[in-house]
Amino acid sequence: MGLRRRLTAAAVRRATVLVVEVPGWGRTRCAVEREIRDRGWRPAASPADADVLLVCGRPGARLAAAVDLAWEQLPGPRARAEVLTPSGASAALDRALDGLADDDGQRADAAARPGDPAMGIGADEDPDGDDAGSGHETSDEDSDDGDSDDGDSDDGDSDDGDSDDGDSDDGDSGDGDSGDGDSGDSGDGSDDDGAEDDESGEDESGEDDADDSDDSDEMDMDMPMPAGIPLAGGGEARDGLEMDLLHVPLGPVLPAWPPGLVLHCTVQGDVVQEARAEVLPPGPDAEPDGDLVQGSPADRCDRAARILTVAGWADAAAAAARLRDELLDADGPGSSRPALDRLDRRVRRSWTLRRSLRGVPAAAGNPPAGDVHDQLLRHLDQARHPREGGVPTPVATVPLDRLPDLVAGQELAAVRLLVAAADLSPATLVRSGAGLS
Amino acid sequence: MTGALTQVPAGWVPLAAVLLLALAALGATVDGALAARAQGRHWGSGLGLPMAETARLLRQRRRRTVAADRPLWLIGTGGLLVVALLMVVVVPLGRWTLSDLPVGVVWFNAMDVVVWALVWLAGWGPNSAHSLVGGYRFLAQALAYELPLMFAITAPAVAAGSLAVGDVVAAQEGLWFAVWMPVAFLVFCGAVLAFSVRAPFSAPAGADLAGGVLADSSGIDRWLLLAGRWALMAAGSAFAVAVFLGGGHGPLLPAWLWSLVKTGALLAVLVWVRRRLPTVRPDRLLPFGWVVVLPLVLLQLLVVAVVVVVGGS
Repeated sequence: MGLRRRLTAAAVRRATVLVVEVPGWGRTRCAVEREIRDRGWRPAASPADADVLLVCGRPGARLAAAVDLAWEQLPGPRARAEVLTPSGASAALDRALDGLADDDGQRADAAARPGDPAMGIGADEDPDGDDAGSGHETSDEDSDDGDSDDGDSDDGDSDDGDSDDGDSDDGDSGDGDSGDGDSGDSGDGSDDDGAEDDESGEDESGEDDADDSDDSDEMDMDMPMPAGIPLAGGGEARDGLEMDLLHVPLGPVLPAWPPGLVLHCTVQGDVVQEARAEVLPPGPDAEPDGDLVQGSPADRCDRAARILTVAGWADAAAAAARLRDELLDADGPGSSRPALDRLDRRVRRSWTLRRSLRGVPAAAGNPPAGDVHDQLLRHLDQARHPREGGVPTPVATVPLDRLPDLVAGQELAAVRLLVAAADLSPATLVRSGAGLS
Repeated sequence: MTGALTQVPAGWVPLAAVLLLALAALGATVDGALAARAQGRHWGSGLGLPMAETARLLRQRRRRTVAADRPLWLIGTGGLLVVALLMVVVVPLGRWTLSDLPVGVVWFNAMDVVVWALVWLAGWGPNSAHSLVGGYRFLAQALAYELPLMFAITAPAVAAGSLAVGDVVAAQEGLWFAVWMPVAFLVFCGAVLAFSVRAPFSAPAGADLAGGVLADSSGIDRWLLLAGRWALMAAGSAFAVAVFLGGGHGPLLPAWLWSLVKTGALLAVLVWVRRRLPTVRPDRLLPFGWVVVLPLVLLQLLVVAVVVVVGGS
């Protein structure tokens, strides 16, 4: 007993948090990131990595479905919380921590979850009904664990599945326990693009929907379907080889990614052949708390931190994020100036960073010009030398429909950098309605 | 000269495993301290990171994915630690070694090639696009670093005139090989970072892939992968100490302690380097590896060979 309690105490000391930002809640997200950093916790890279799912803002139906799907993929012990204002960040993390440390609650949650992974159902099983806004390729994967699928994957997994999760898992899934896992299930099952909006975990079903053109006729296909997953369709790749075409959605639950953005990518290998971008809006009656002032030094630092995170430079990203938080407190570069200069020097000097970022086209300005490295340096410059009078230098935002052209033909690494650096403003797009496809 | 080493019975393997894990934990601790400092907290607050992360992952459930290739996934996940242990089998600790293989250098190289398969399998297993891309990134990266690595560890072997690690250590009695073959040493250190998937070679587990090969692992699977990476880094450092930094040679302290101190120090330096550098995009790595590094290390090998021939005659 004592051992278990000690393990629990040690295990929750450094919880990892998957932060989801709803468009319009940028300041809240910054406050949450700061709180995570100050506690010595860690932002999660994927749902599998996360203990806590923290939603900043009130998502609309489709974004909420994506969040629910990500929630299903948290391995557990897991906790979930919503924050609506920057000042609520600390309390929300405390709540999540209590939930994580509650052994009995976690056991009940685990028992209520299905023992097998959430399964994409075949396109023909999906009515494609309730969201007219999504393109047809969004419809053919689903997080729904339909009955037949449950059976299938259960069989497949039963041999090794029991050993890790304990028997209770499989056995108890039907015992009518009304833990919150159940409601999460039905939530994501009812929505048709939940699976697609998830960032990484559901890629297994991202592969299954490879041929969206064959949406409704998997009966006709004369193909083997491992675990009910149709095989990927082929297509000619850029170097003349025939390669599988996979549909991999990027976002909206993805760290260092513009809030609410979904990039529906068709990839061959790791090259994005074509893409479609949209922004999932917040709830219709939600009152967004607000973003950072666009173009302000703090906003510039935030953008720099995002680029540096995707570039795989955690320490420099942490420095940028710390500067952002200082600037938010101080309302002017003032005392942060030396640290800003240090960061700027460090970034400028890095030969490896230049090597990685050079040549990735910038989604900035009109028409877009330069590359991501230029963008990063520009952000740092503008943060160090804000205009007189405190009026921020405006960020020339790029229309969303530019994005697909820019990312086509790029590798995933470049796409991530490009989007992280893109001067988009999802909240503005949502307000004007331009982001809705 | 092989006789200089005492081959200990296989019963000592558990001790080697414990030492390896302790070194891996040391690496993770240094990393935690550096990360805490970068985030504006006191470095001491990061020291508990390996223990806290271990407790967290032991308590976490395993994630399973649809149509996962379970056996291959497990091999990839569990294999990294095993390979790291197999690497240190030929690395002497002072005067003792588990196995004084006459081809120890080749053995180490063979083990590091197994890492190719393991990381790729860890990416393939979950049946997920991100981790699969991560796995392939590692193969592309391995193409870039493996040849330079092979030539880099050829240099000490040529200088010592033997492929046995014990002979290579003995040949450094007066002068460490790192001193007069610095290029080979640096290239080898880079390769250690590369096969343990650390920045600047961390693209296979990159933040841009939501963790890449780690994206869908949780619980004990994730622990095995993370511990395996740290253990590989520790094993690589231990081997570098043996073939480049004089192994157990040093004043005052006993030889086994020198081996450990040097390994820990090199490991800490590598951790520091990995935190200083951003990840290099995988597609930018191969040209650099083959056009710049490979010729350099070949030149180094040429210099070493000439010195050996001239000095030996």
